Amino acid sequence: MKPARPHPHTLTGAYALNALTGAQAARFERHLARCPACAQEISEFTETTARLAAAAAAQPPAALRRRVLATATHARRLPPALREPVADFPRRRWLALPAAAVLLALAATVAVATRLGGDPAARSQARDSQIAAVLTAPDATMLDTSIATGGTATVVMSLRRHTLVFAATGLVSLPTARCYELWLIGPRGDTPAGMLPGPQHGPTGPVTSTGLRSGSRLGLSVEPAGGSPHPTTTMILNLAL
Amino acid sequence: MAPDLAALLGQVANGDDDAFGALYDRIAPTVFGLACRVLRDPGQAEEVAQDVLTEIWRTAARFDPGRGSVMAWVTTIAHRRAVDRVRAEQRMLDRQQRAARPAATGYDEVAETVQASLDRERVRRCLGSLTALQRQAVTLAYYDGCTYRQAAARLGVPDGTLSTRMRDGLIRLRDCLETRR
Repeated sequence: MKPARPHPHTLTGAYALNALTGAQAARFERHLARCPACAQEISEFTETTARLAAAAAAQPPAALRRRVLATATHARRLPPALREPVADFPRRRWLALPAAAVLLALAATVAVATRLGGDPAARSQARDSQIAAVLTAPDATMLDTSIATGGTATVVMSLRRHTLVFAATGLVSLPTARCYELWLIGPRGDTPAGMLPGPQHGPTGPVTSTGLRSGSRLGLSVEPAGGSPHPTTTMILNLAL
Repeated sequence: MAPDLAALLGQVANGDDDAFGALYDRIAPTVFGLACRVLRDPGQAEEVAQDVLTEIWRTAARFDPGRGSVMAWVTTIAHRRAVDRVRAEQRMLDRQQRAARPAATGYDEVAETVQASLDRERVRRCLGSLTALQRQAVTLAYYDGCTYRQAAARLGVPDGTLSTRMRDGLIRLRDCLETRR
């Protein structure tokens, strides 16, 4: 003979302790849906088990904090879908990859840049939160394009935040007397938009630029080390944003 | 004075990363410690804690203060994840070698590590006020991740008896710890 099933109400404790599985848990949840007294009891038991948990507290390794906070800074809620492709820019290739993959790649770039860059922590943190702000902007748009002299650029931008994030891979290495400089090109001319960190092995950046306006173009040129107030060589990237 | 956990969680939901750092410092030891207790493996506990803390950050906006405290919400998620992991591992072990896990020590182990804070001491004293069967039922489920059938088999009592003991034990603990709302 099968043993009698426990009355559902006596299962509140087992449920609060996560000790019910599969069909049992489902059966109890059906009972719970029409048993306010059970719901109240479980809510109280959950406060009780929280105290059991607190009694087991132990100091986690410091590396865990770094990993969790890095995730929280860089993988924030994904922006909405990409804009529709624009046909009349043949050089520009809108990303076919899912946005998440690109964001993760960019986040990895950020992590590498942060480690290798040796920035003072505060500056790098401010930069990281600026990047996060762009990635999470509701109007965030991403595109990638090739650079005339070699390499690929990825740009994530938010007009609402007037900011873009630029990262590149496979840029040609420059002599130490030269650097790559970004430009925002608007109706009133060129504005320096930041220099890419060197040396350019593998991923470069990310670099954030503010002052983005509707109708701006993004340019990249090779300039004397230290940068120029205006571009002195031909643009190797000239991208309508 | 440290900000209220619910207020911190609200700031996290609004995208405040500094608030998340502060929240982490307040909840991570409990999440990690609980995962260690259930999984008995600091490496796996770290993985589970990372998942849980990331999920807390991601779903901060879903927390409903009307339904309970932040710690109740956080530890419910953490406990479920840790227990899921233990059970997945058990299924694997059962398949591979049908080996029983080492006997759980339950209360004694709790007593051994519970010492530092008054809060811990209070939990220890309250656990001590339970009958042996109530205490074993509660700690086997909560700290060892046993299902109530596993706990019943281990303690050699019928399922129905054990589910009643779990409930009675929690009622007594609740009253002792004054966590009634």
